[in-house]
Formats: sequence, structure tokens, C-alpha cells
Amino acid sequence: MIELINIRKVYNAGKPNEFVAIEGVSLGIESRKATVLKGPSGSGKTTLLSMIGCMARPTAGRIMLHDREITSLPERFLTEIRRAGFGFIFQQFNLIKGVSALENVMLPAYPAGERHGPLRKRALHLLDLLGLSHKASSKTEWLSGGEAQRVAISRALINNPSVVIADEPTAHLDTHLSHEFMDIMARLKAEGKTIIMASHDPIVYEAGAVDRVVDMRDGQVVGTGGNP
Amino acid sequence: MILHPPIIALVFGSLMIGLMVLYASFFGVQILRKWDLRSGSELQLALERKTYLVSTILSYAFGFQLFSLFLFVYTADGISGLFVGAMCAAGALFVNSYGYPALILKIVNFLFAGCWLIINHADNRASDYPLVKIKYVVLLILTPLIVLEAAVQATYFARLEPDVITSCCGALFSKDALALASGIGALPLQPMRIVLPLVLALTFGTGLRFFRTGRGPYLFSAASTVAFVTSVAALISVISPYFYELPTHHCPFCILQKEYGYVGYVLYVTLLGGAIAGMGVGILAPFRGIQSLAESLPALQRRLSILALALYGLFTVMVLYKIYSANLRL
Repeated sequence: MIELINIRKVYNAGKPNEFVAIEGVSLGIESRKATVLKGPSGSGKTTLLSMIGCMARPTAGRIMLHDREITSLPERFLTEIRRAGFGFIFQQFNLIKGVSALENVMLPAYPAGERHGPLRKRALHLLDLLGLSHKASSKTEWLSGGEAQRVAISRALINNPSVVIADEPTAHLDTHLSHEFMDIMARLKAEGKTIIMASHDPIVYEAGAVDRVVDMRDGQVVGTGGNP
Repeated sequence: MILHPPIIALVFGSLMIGLMVLYASFFGVQILRKWDLRSGSELQLALERKTYLVSTILSYAFGFQLFSLFLFVYTADGISGLFVGAMCAAGALFVNSYGYPALILKIVNFLFAGCWLIINHADNRASDYPLVKIKYVVLLILTPLIVLEAAVQATYFARLEPDVITSCCGALFSKDALALASGIGALPLQPMRIVLPLVLALTFGTGLRFFRTGRGPYLFSAASTVAFVTSVAALISVISPYFYELPTHHCPFCILQKEYGYVGYVLYVTLLGGAIAGMGVGILAPFRGIQSLAESLPALQRRLSILALALYGLFTVMVLYKIYSANLRL
């Protein structure tokens, strides 16, 4: 269970260009379920996702991860939680150019100091699960959008996180690939992972695998509901 | 004032540290008054972010503070040639009435800064800032001393007049001189020969007991502190003549010179380091009951105890080797 308590996030506080991205959001996100943060651009979805994933800190409020308060943690503790607990799929995929798909998948596990052999095997297994084992040695700039997306998903899973976070995951995918992506998310949910996505794509928030849709606007939660 | 690069470095370094600790103290008062980890208020979150930054900056500042003691002595030794009568740092520090107070303040602040670094290190091992208030209380105690040290040191350097005739260490640390230093130099030989091994034996005994069983941290800490004071006194009164191979010479500074292979720096590093590590064991002992420190604190205390024992052990070996190899029998 991830619990957000009265979260507020202000950028450039006290300056003329001060911007309140999140205002007073309290929310509980259930484990092993798929939750979508839905709303127009600028509604605060990405900001909220980045705080849930320990990539940014709120200006005020607390976030509890499995009953552990994480907003007060010093960075070195947060790094460990981020690495072990969360897998990230970014809107632009953020794959490293010039290195192979396999290396990209293995990268997030390097700081943990795991032996190269078992790590490589695990990365190959993940690529295989997503039907990309034949592209393991391809450089990322040679991959199609769908392939790059699946490499990004494999990379998010390399540390076996309990929570997968995806920010506008279908923004650069056509309809077929978007449905394919949601199928993969449904599989991950069935395996027991918590899925949290930010999207304003109906293919995402209307998908059958999604348990809960949180409507956001102007940095606030304006409604929540489950999919039928 | 003599514009010598190390003097400029010391004066500006101390000024910077003074300003840093003043700012950190101002921040520390906020921590002591407003810190509430249960709160998710904007102020609390800002304090959490800021204390990490302030602690990191202070760690570097106190790192320089530790180094500056040796730079100060090295500088005083280096400029001694400018003063008529001075042979080493002892004479250079005696040029005006601020030299020795500056040295004493630097030693006291060295020990305090070392202890603060240990508390800060322990605090950083836990995720819930368990010692945050303690370390800012210690900082508030240390701040006036740091500022005073910066002022006294700056005054000492500012009032250095090259035409002053000062006293040499032979006079300052002789048995006939009227000063505390000479009093230490005149400590009776035989009792010191018994007291020092006893104190060191007590330190090693209590240290090994603590290392093996985790019991008696306060006793070991107290023994380490007494060992530091006793060893410095013995170094002046009993041990230094063996290094100089001259029964009447008790200067604690000449052993810092090239003629003696700078051995004094090693001796003082072992004593100061041993004292800080030993004191650290006792300082951390009251916090062993804190849940978030339950794993890291005993391990840190054990590391500190073994470090203290290793440093005092090195001091003992060096002294014994010198006593048995010197061409002097007292």
C-alpha cells in the first residue's frame, strides 16, 4: 500500500515564477493493482508519479510505502528504496544510445554489484519474455518504437521491483502497440506487481486491467473511480 | 602581521569555518525548536533537506579544523627563525600572549570537532535522524570555541613582531621556569614511569574487553581520555629526552622538526586520534537503545575501539622502541 498524505509540491518557491504543481493530495494506492492517474497536461500527474517513485520530494506532506515513511529519508536510503522497489518506464523511454538493448536492460542493476553472468542471464530472460531476445545485441537507435518500449519495460523489471511506474507510456505508440503495452501491464499485475501509470490515453485508462482511475486537474485529485 | 602563505591559509580557513558554524548554529536553533519528524509540514521537510546539506558542509569544515591544528604548529615552527631566541614553535608561540591560548583552543576544538564528526557519522547511519538534536547541541557548544579560536589565532598572527626577543624551548620547558609547561617538564621521572604504563594498560584492558564483549564503554572512554592527558604529560616530562638524547630537554615541539624525522607529528596524531576514537565509544554509548541505530552503532563503537587501541598501540611501540634504542639512560 502506498499512501500519500496531504502532498504539496511547489516549484521555484518564493520566486516570481513560483508554480504549485500539487496541492493537498491525499491518496491511497493499493498493492498488486493497476492505478492510472488521468488528467490533462499540467494536471500534476508526472509530478505525483515522480514523488511516489522517490525521484522528487514533496514540499509538504508525507508518503508512506508499506507503512514506512519515505519522504524524510536521506538520499542514500532513498536510492536503495528507489532501486529495489520501483521500476520506471518513461515517456521518452530514455534508453542510452550507443549501447545494446541488453546493456540498457542491465544498467539499473550495476550499482547493486551483482555478478555479471547471472545478471546477463536475467536480462536476456526478460527480453525473451517480451519477445525481444533476437534484438539483445542491437543498439537502441536501431530499434522501432515498440521494440524500444519493450526494452524500457525490461529495464524497469531488471531489479524485480514491486511497483512499476509508467509515465505516459503510450504517448509515442500507435494503437496496436498501445494495446500490446497494456497486455504486458496486465501480465505484470497478474504476477503481483503494483502498476501506477500517468496517462490521458483512453486505451490506458479504459483497459480492463486497470483497477482504479484517479482524475487529476490543476494539481488536485478531482475524482476517483474503478473500471467496470 | 607576517604575510606567510600558511598564515593566510589558517586565518582565512578559520574565518570560513567560523562563518560556517555560525550559520549552522543559527540553523541548529531552528532544528532544536521546530524539529518534529511526525509532521509533514513544509518547514519540517525543508529542515530535513537542509540538515543533510549543513551536516555535509560541517563535515568538511571540521575536517579542515582537524588538519589546521597541525598546520598551525607547522607554521609556528616554520616562522620561528624570524624571532630572536626562538628555536622551534615553542618560542614562536611565546612571541605574544595569544600563541599558547590559540594552541590550547585548537587542541580543545580538535577533540570537540572529532567527537562531532563521530556523532554525525552515527546519525547518518540511520534513516530517521536519531541524533539530529544531539549533534546540534554539541555544535552550539562548539561554536563559541571555534569563533574564539579564530579570533585568538588571528590576533596572534596580527601581533607578530619580528623584532621581539622571545624565549627558546630550552628555557620554556626547563625545570626552573615559572610556567605550566615547565611544571609538566618537571614532573618526577619515577612516578611518570609507573603511571603511564598503568594508564595505557588500563586503556588496552578496557578496550579489549569492550571490543570482545561490548561491555564497559564508559570505562574505556574515560581510560582513553586519561591516557591522552597522561601520555602528553609523559611525552614532555619523560619521553622527549630520549628523542633528543639530552636529559634536560623537554620540548614538545622540537620532535616535530626535520632533524627528528617529523616523528612528533606521528606521535601526536596517534594520541589525538586515539583520544577521539576512545571518547567516541563513550559518547555513543547512551544511544545504543535507539532502534534505528541498533545494528550500526555497536559496529561503529567496535571500529572506534579498535582504532583507538591501534593508535595507542602504535604510540606505545614507537615510544618503547625509542627508549630502548636511544643513547640515553635516565
